[in-house]
Amino acid sequence: MAKPTADWEKVGTRFYRKVQLYTAVFDQDLELENYLVAGAPYSGALALHRDEEKVHAYRGARAAKPSIDVYSCAGKLIRRINWEKGSIKGLGWSEDEKLLVVTEDGTVRCYYDLQGDFVPFTLGHGAEEHGVKACRFWSNGFVALLNNNHLISVARYDEPRPKLLAIPPEGEIHSWTLIPPAYTLSRSVEVLLSTDKTIYVIDASDSEDRNYSEGPFVHMSVSPNGKLVALYTNNGKLWVVGSDFQETLNEYDSRSKTMPKDMHWCGNNAVALAWEDEIHLVTQGAATKYYYDGWVHLIPDVDGIRVLTNDVCEFLQRVPDVTEETFRIGSTSPASILLDAVDQLERKSPKADDNIQLIRPNLSEAVDACVKAAGHEFSIHWQKQLLKAASFGKSVLDLYNSDEFVEMCETLRVLNAARFYEIGLPLSYEQYQRLTPEKLIERLINRHEYLLALRISEYLRLPSDRIYVNWASQKVRQSTEDEESICRLIVQKLNNKPGVSFEEIARSAYDEGRVRLATELLNYEPRAGKQVPLLLSMKEDTIALDKAIESGDTDLVYHVLLHLKKKLPLAPFFRTINSRPMAMALVESSAIDQDRELLKDLYYQDDRRLDGSNLLLSEALAQEHPQARLDKIKLASRLLQDSKENAFQLKMLDETARLLRMQEHFDKDLHSDASPAGMRTSGPSFVGLSINDTLFELLKSSHVKRALKVQSEFKVPEKTYWWVRLRALVSARHWNELEEVGKARKSPIGWEPFFNEVLGAGNTRLASTFVPKCTGLSPRERVEMWVKCGMVGKAGEEALKAKDVECLRELREKATGSTLSEIDKMIAQLEPRRR
Amino acid sequence: MAPHAALNTQDIAEKARRDLLQLLEGVRGKKNLVLEKSLADTLSLIVKTSTLREYGVDKFYFLENDNVDSSQRNVVFLARGEKAKTVIAIAEQINRLRRSGQVDHEFSIFWIPRRTLVSNQILEEAGVLGEVNIAEYALYFIPLADDLLSMELDDAFSDLYLRRDPTATFLAAKALMLMQQRHGLFPRIIGKGDNAKRLADLLLRMRSEVTAGDASYSNGASSLGLTPSSSIESLIIIDREVDLPTVLLTQLTYEGLIDEIFGIKANQTEVDSSIVGATPAQAPQVSSASSSTPALKRKIQLDSSDTLYSTLQDSNFAIVGSLLNKVARRLQSSYESRHVASKSTAELREFVAKLPGYQAEQASLKIHTALAEEIIKHTRSDIFSRILEVQQNLAAGADPTSQHDSIDELISRALPLPTVLRLLCLESCVSGGLKRGDLETFKRAILHGYGHQHLLTLSGLEKLGLLTMQAGGLGRPAAKPGTVTNYSAVRKNLHLIVDEVNESEPDDIAYVFSGYAPLSVRLVQCILQKQYLASLGSSRATAAAAPPPQSAAQGWRPFEDVVKQVKGATFDEAQTGEEKAVRARQALNGSGGGESRKTVVVFFLGGVCRAEVAALRFVAKRLKEEGVGRRVVIATTGMVSGDGVVGAAIEKKTFGGA
Repeated sequence: MAKPTADWEKVGTRFYRKVQLYTAVFDQDLELENYLVAGAPYSGALALHRDEEKVHAYRGARAAKPSIDVYSCAGKLIRRINWEKGSIKGLGWSEDEKLLVVTEDGTVRCYYDLQGDFVPFTLGHGAEEHGVKACRFWSNGFVALLNNNHLISVARYDEPRPKLLAIPPEGEIHSWTLIPPAYTLSRSVEVLLSTDKTIYVIDASDSEDRNYSEGPFVHMSVSPNGKLVALYTNNGKLWVVGSDFQETLNEYDSRSKTMPKDMHWCGNNAVALAWEDEIHLVTQGAATKYYYDGWVHLIPDVDGIRVLTNDVCEFLQRVPDVTEETFRIGSTSPASILLDAVDQLERKSPKADDNIQLIRPNLSEAVDACVKAAGHEFSIHWQKQLLKAASFGKSVLDLYNSDEFVEMCETLRVLNAARFYEIGLPLSYEQYQRLTPEKLIERLINRHEYLLALRISEYLRLPSDRIYVNWASQKVRQSTEDEESICRLIVQKLNNKPGVSFEEIARSAYDEGRVRLATELLNYEPRAGKQVPLLLSMKEDTIALDKAIESGDTDLVYHVLLHLKKKLPLAPFFRTINSRPMAMALVESSAIDQDRELLKDLYYQDDRRLDGSNLLLSEALAQEHPQARLDKIKLASRLLQDSKENAFQLKMLDETARLLRMQEHFDKDLHSDASPAGMRTSGPSFVGLSINDTLFELLKSSHVKRALKVQSEFKVPEKTYWWVRLRALVSARHWNELEEVGKARKSPIGWEPFFNEVLGAGNTRLASTFVPKCTGLSPRERVEMWVKCGMVGKAGEEALKAKDVECLRELREKATGSTLSEIDKMIAQLEPRRR
Repeated sequence: MAPHAALNTQDIAEKARRDLLQLLEGVRGKKNLVLEKSLADTLSLIVKTSTLREYGVDKFYFLENDNVDSSQRNVVFLARGEKAKTVIAIAEQINRLRRSGQVDHEFSIFWIPRRTLVSNQILEEAGVLGEVNIAEYALYFIPLADDLLSMELDDAFSDLYLRRDPTATFLAAKALMLMQQRHGLFPRIIGKGDNAKRLADLLLRMRSEVTAGDASYSNGASSLGLTPSSSIESLIIIDREVDLPTVLLTQLTYEGLIDEIFGIKANQTEVDSSIVGATPAQAPQVSSASSSTPALKRKIQLDSSDTLYSTLQDSNFAIVGSLLNKVARRLQSSYESRHVASKSTAELREFVAKLPGYQAEQASLKIHTALAEEIIKHTRSDIFSRILEVQQNLAAGADPTSQHDSIDELISRALPLPTVLRLLCLESCVSGGLKRGDLETFKRAILHGYGHQHLLTLSGLEKLGLLTMQAGGLGRPAAKPGTVTNYSAVRKNLHLIVDEVNESEPDDIAYVFSGYAPLSVRLVQCILQKQYLASLGSSRATAAAAPPPQSAAQGWRPFEDVVKQVKGATFDEAQTGEEKAVRARQALNGSGGGESRKTVVVFFLGGVCRAEVAALRFVAKRLKEEGVGRRVVIATTGMVSGDGVVGAAIEKKTFGGA
């Protein structure tokens, strides 16, 4: 086995390694130099599209057809997407392996799986007129540069919203790149443009000149962590500056006359410059050079660079610290000694124990390092060796937490499976950590590697429902078997699996035109709500409505109802909702705000006269004009005619109209009398008042005759009339009239209210006149009333009449002056017998 | 699979706050915030205006006013997305701003509590869906107090019972489901009322759907979360419809009366500043920059941050005066103690440290004394006692016709309509409707007294089941059992009327209405305080002598028969988890360890009034004293009062026109 250090190169003070991932990647005939190549992050798929601007050898008509070919890193063709949509100006990937294709006219296709299904959208903002020149992508968005130098950014793909960034200055753009939003201060994407000799930084609102004079820069590249920018000048110099452009950190002169074709960061510490068949890896002012036989492509990743030629796919990265520590020639780190110990052990040499004793104090540290180093190793042999070392070391230790060891074993099994050339996902350990196992499974699903995905998700105890659903959807799409057996097969496999969404499978069946299968599958969906949208698109409207009601989610019900209302004529629509009270209630409650005509029709069809009449009545209330109001009321009462149970309602409506008419008369008579010029504002209008209030206002302004007319017209009860009159007279302070009223022998409401109201208005004199009339009350209460009027003497008389000495004594306390002696006299009248 | 966390209302508030700020942070730069009027108060419970400003909110607008302008590029709408009306209003405003368009606006909509399909559809039709950033703000429960969670759905009552729109039920189910996902399944769901039953069914259904594994559910909370909770004992759902009379009565607790007279919204009441004095200048309480509040009103915060208030709020108003006196005297004496000559510096320092507390208490004492005096003005009035008399007589089952004269008189005296309607509805509710003749007379009197537009009001009340004609009348079939509460039976068996009420040292929940025990809370007692309730039956004196051993009876037993007399469905469901998971959890919790202090959640669908809250707190206190370590948390769709309940039906327009 080759030493792991064989492919290490020292650049500056650090080692870099080139790991060969796969060989024989592409067909030898494939002229890589004529292709646009884009690779998905985290060792994802490659998309190749033949660059139309370059000449190429003719290989028959079939091969000449333009296409986008999606390959795995191992060169396995995953999918060929035929392309006839015009010239491609941007080809890129998102973090979750969506392929983005941007054409010159500004249309974007987002291929969300690797199987050629896509969602299109357009950039707008003038992209169509001016044409797209180029695109730069980041993990979940991209920026397109138009031919007029305008920049359009798209920050998400699920709901894409192309946004125009600030307008950059005119002039030729030598190169450009972007800083992803996650790494900028403004948290929105920033674009770096090299024009003239300087660099502009452009975000959503600003375009700022960084005042450089060393340009133009032919290449610019931002490090994966967004902190550094590499600039390549047209005289062959490479600069590394902070992304805030505050200081220059590094400078390197390539002394090359030809411009490199590409420049990318390799991790966060080195920059790779690529010529046609040569790569320079530059760090800390030093460089190492790699030479190839053919054309090379660089595909940057978070922790390194993938190098692609026709023959090989390699991974170029800085040697991770633990690995360097363990393997570096001459290393005396504990891990390296532990590794050696295993070697000795295999050779049955006693040195093994010597080694262990040597690092005894640092043993657990050594074990940790070996476990970590195993993770960073691509070669299975060395993974094993390192794990063996770790296991050996930990067997010597008394107390060691093996969680990390176990976890690493699991991780490595997964990684090795994914790296296998038939799968072609050469994830590094760090990439895997960042990608997360769930996303890895997603990628496997996209590649239709269901078995592996299932195995991994079982192995890592992750939910597997997505895998089953995707598998079944695929089955539905591709299987040529008859529908029944497909359904049986799917149900058989997927029943009892938690979380499986049959709705989704049914949808793909429906999309494929297999309606019957879709219906059948949908029956297995336990979530009623989920079924609704599909049922709607399947035109199973009533079932959809029932399911929506079943789910209890009013939003879903509304949704279906809106759909139905648009689709159906009124009569069948009403028939549909009629038998479903919840639907009916929802229609009613929404129509009252939005569509009263619908409601009227509904009540009419349903023969709900009272509701219909009420609706008209509430419309009458909304009318401005008196006549219009009366008309509406008339309509409302017409609806109720000849229905017996609504006789009362009808009578009341009739009353309403009569009252309104009468009030109008009053308005005309009383208010225009006072001011012939028609100043109707001279008094408050009667219209709109209730009967009692009308009476109140009339009596207040002493229109007694009219008030009596109202009373008789509407049969206002005597009691009510008396009360209203009392309140009106008191509030208008018509004391004389009240006195007149008080002369009556009897009052239907008694005289107490008169006393209370008048007293409440502060007229004690008048109030007192009512006291003697309150014959129904006890003497004590009457005494109290007198006192309230401040007439203690009268109160005394009352008490005397009742022969209540006790009460008199109490009164004595309140009395002053002459009343005091009076009271004394009264007490004396009652008392003597006792003395 | 850690043991379920105990239900903590503070966490809910904190989460709501964080979520909102995070959403606001997502909109870069300054922004104008447009929100529904009803949300303004709700929001003030969660986050201070000043904090919102820190997060870039420049100006506030009410959606209803339709006046948002182009002063900021970013416009954020915050609204409930369930009603099409709101969505349409937002769409129109967006279009208006776009048309006026000097500024290229960035629009965001945060839907509370969820983004609905209907909103998508409407926005799409209005052509704005592509122009706005839409997010969800999953705001369900908002804590009003440590033991009181409200969804603050102002329309819940009218939606549920007038329009029969079950949105509130569904949202409640969602909210409770979230609670279950956090704290585990309610081991028992028990309740009363048709809508309550529907809610329970929804919960069971949602549970099965979660088990079926919706991706959005299983995220975060693993399916293991759905084992019976170890911290929550049961969920009791009471449908408002089951007990309408209670809300119709005048609440007689301090908080209840404040609500009746001044109104409480989101723990705040607005009182004329002539009563309590102007707001101290340095502390403008949470006030949205609406500038619509008239200057003469002062907002008073009513929550547990005011210690004095928390001692007063649930007391019967009759004793509030003496309580205030006591506090005043205590403050006085401790304040005066500073004059005592022989004070060491240490004592002095201690005293000074307490000073701010004194001052706060002093201020609050001043406010509450002023409030109490104002309330006394109402309670002493002749009309108040008339109303109370009618209410008490009706509740006690006196012949309703004997009260008709009083009601008639009150109408003639032009009392506020809600007050009169409450009396009529109360009569109708407790006696199963009015006789045809009486009903028509009263209807006529109402129309005459308050205007004919109230034909609509009356028909609304009929739909609500508040004011109905007695069954068995002309052309009406006799009511089926279970659809109407048989009050005479219930009143007797559940002891709704308690003659001797000790207001200062209450011994029964009846103190909150000075003699009437709210039926809704009695129902809860049927479940939680079986012994006590049973003891009320036997003579009260001997009850203490022979306490039956804590029966194992669960659910409604032994009160099923009485409960059946109450309107609406009765149900009792146990939720168990998968056997394996349950056992695992038991192993984790150890044996009996989790028994110590369990929570009972009482959910009022359609609203709860403050007197009921006070009564439930009283029950909770009793449970604690008995050593039954249960904690009672009250949850509801919103706070209601009698005026609000009848107000749902009242037609606001008049024939006077605009």
